[in-house]
Amino acid sequence: MIVVDSLSKAFKRKGRRVRGESRHVQAIEKVSFTAADGKITGLLGSNGAGKSTTLRILATLMKADSGNASIDGYDIGADALQARQSIGFMPHNAGIYPRLTARENVRYYANICGVPPQQAEKRIAQLVEMLDMAGFIDRRAEGFSQGQKTKVGLARALVHSPQTLILDEPTNGLDVMATRGLREIIRQVADDGHCVLFSSHIMQEVEALCDQISIISNGRIAISGSHDSILKNTKQTNLEDAFVAAVNPQSISTHTSEVPQ
Amino acid sequence: MKSILSVFKKEVVDNIRDRQTMFYALLFGPLLLPIMVAGSLVAGFKQMSIDFDEITELPVINVEEAPNLVSFLRQNNIDAVAAPDNFRDRLRDGDINVALEISSDYGAKLETGQPAPLILYANDADKESSKAARKIASLLNVHERTLDSLRMQARGLDPTVFDSIALEQVDVSTEGAGAQILSSMLPFLLIMSMVMGGFYLAIDTTAGERERHSLEPLLSLPINRSSVVLGKYLATLAFVTLSGSLTAIALILLFHYFPSEALSSVIRMDAKTIGKAFLLALPLTILITSLLIAVSAFTRSTKEAQTYLGILMVIPMAPFFLLQFMTIKSANLIMAMPMMSQYKLLEKVAKGESPETLHILLSVSGTLIFAVLLLMLAFWLYRQDRILA
Repeated sequence: MIVVDSLSKAFKRKGRRVRGESRHVQAIEKVSFTAADGKITGLLGSNGAGKSTTLRILATLMKADSGNASIDGYDIGADALQARQSIGFMPHNAGIYPRLTARENVRYYANICGVPPQQAEKRIAQLVEMLDMAGFIDRRAEGFSQGQKTKVGLARALVHSPQTLILDEPTNGLDVMATRGLREIIRQVADDGHCVLFSSHIMQEVEALCDQISIISNGRIAISGSHDSILKNTKQTNLEDAFVAAVNPQSISTHTSEVPQ
Repeated sequence: MKSILSVFKKEVVDNIRDRQTMFYALLFGPLLLPIMVAGSLVAGFKQMSIDFDEITELPVINVEEAPNLVSFLRQNNIDAVAAPDNFRDRLRDGDINVALEISSDYGAKLETGQPAPLILYANDADKESSKAARKIASLLNVHERTLDSLRMQARGLDPTVFDSIALEQVDVSTEGAGAQILSSMLPFLLIMSMVMGGFYLAIDTTAGERERHSLEPLLSLPINRSSVVLGKYLATLAFVTLSGSLTAIALILLFHYFPSEALSSVIRMDAKTIGKAFLLALPLTILITSLLIAVSAFTRSTKEAQTYLGILMVIPMAPFFLLQFMTIKSANLIMAMPMMSQYKLLEKVAKGESPETLHILLSVSGTLIFAVLLLMLAFWLYRQDRILA
């Protein structure tokens, strides 16, 4: 369960500033949403909308300037260590160690999370079966395909059996079959009662997978809700139009007014 | 604590599998560097110094003209042999180093009290040749002085009349002139191999981790960031220490199996000296590791880290070059300066002197203070948002 309450974060602007430009870029502003257990929540937004920043703050990698959030009841600021124990986080490049085998990669995270060795091996065996990694679990990660890397990254995020799973653009770079496989896995994790939050800029993917959707644009949450409620509130028939309507209400209203009813 | 150990173990295993790290930790510092530096220094030193005890052959033209000269040369370990006809060409080719021509009227001029002509042939473009020529010329000078005084005595003059100046040169240093460069070779080798031993590991575990995008998930684990830094710190420290100790062992073996007499006359290079030097340099492992970790935490990519650390390589090298042309006194302030103080201490040890206890204490504490400050800087850098960017 993730509860996000008006998180804001600004970064220092890099490079030369144009005159009149402020020193800071507001990456996200007053972002609020919730992601429930047993549900898949999608954070949908175009590139640079603030998806990664939000997820990084939730993964306690960065501190927000204001606002707060809790993961399974642990405040990400005050109880950062407990909150981390409760999340499995996979950034958008799986970020695995090429000179270690897949098993060593996963075992390393189990060690750091304090999973007892025997239990860790059991859990790894479980994950190997669940993610279908038997073919490459003992091979060095150098030269793995993106799909294999993602599986290792996912196994690593799940090895300490966290209640909450946070995935940053997990399907990036995956082919059709790998994407389908990953979707099934994510579905299964949610069905087991876990809370899954993932970010994406791909409509179809969010549409196909998510129970709850939060659309983020220019650092603000434009609209949140189930697929149907978003369509209903924006008076659109598909998610893409709903996205455009939510992100830029004016463009849709002028567009619709031109069409005679 | 357990998680620090996990990070440490993983970094060690990971980097043992990295050829670049292993090359620099095991081969470059401990093996290639001593051979390159010590080898060329020893060879250069040998070329500079003249060994009057070595028996050498001297090709002489008209060797039969001057039997007295030949016997004088023989007393000074030089065998005069008949020179080949094409001695000029052979000199040019480097087959022979020097040749002496005794003119055909040498004996006659000597008898009548006139200057007796000798011609010394050498190839000044060749270091070996000019060195051999210097040796023969200095011997001939000695011979000339003997002949001069004989001539003066024959004319009833006191030979000392011509000695207007009695110059006596006394070298009060415990060592000769080349000792400065040779004694700073020891700290140079030890410090450089320590730096090179941890160089790639520090970059790989910090800047490399960021570049691989593996730092983000690592920092999202239930572990303090300072524990992550400490794990990486210990792994780098292990490689720095390993590289340094292997270099010390390599130097002991090098000078044990290839003892250089030219060298041992100026500096000591036995196992005890090198062991002592290593112990005095040991606090530097902590400082060097802190420096490597802090700099690679500051940089954004491995390339940037390599550039910055490449520039920072000047720090361990600076004392080496400064000491070559500057006389830096072992003042207390200097002895509290890391790197420089180790150079001064190790030089003393190499020359067979024992450093003062106060200087050792200053050196150790100065080094540790800098090491702790740099480690704090690394902790701080790891707490910043920019570590992820």
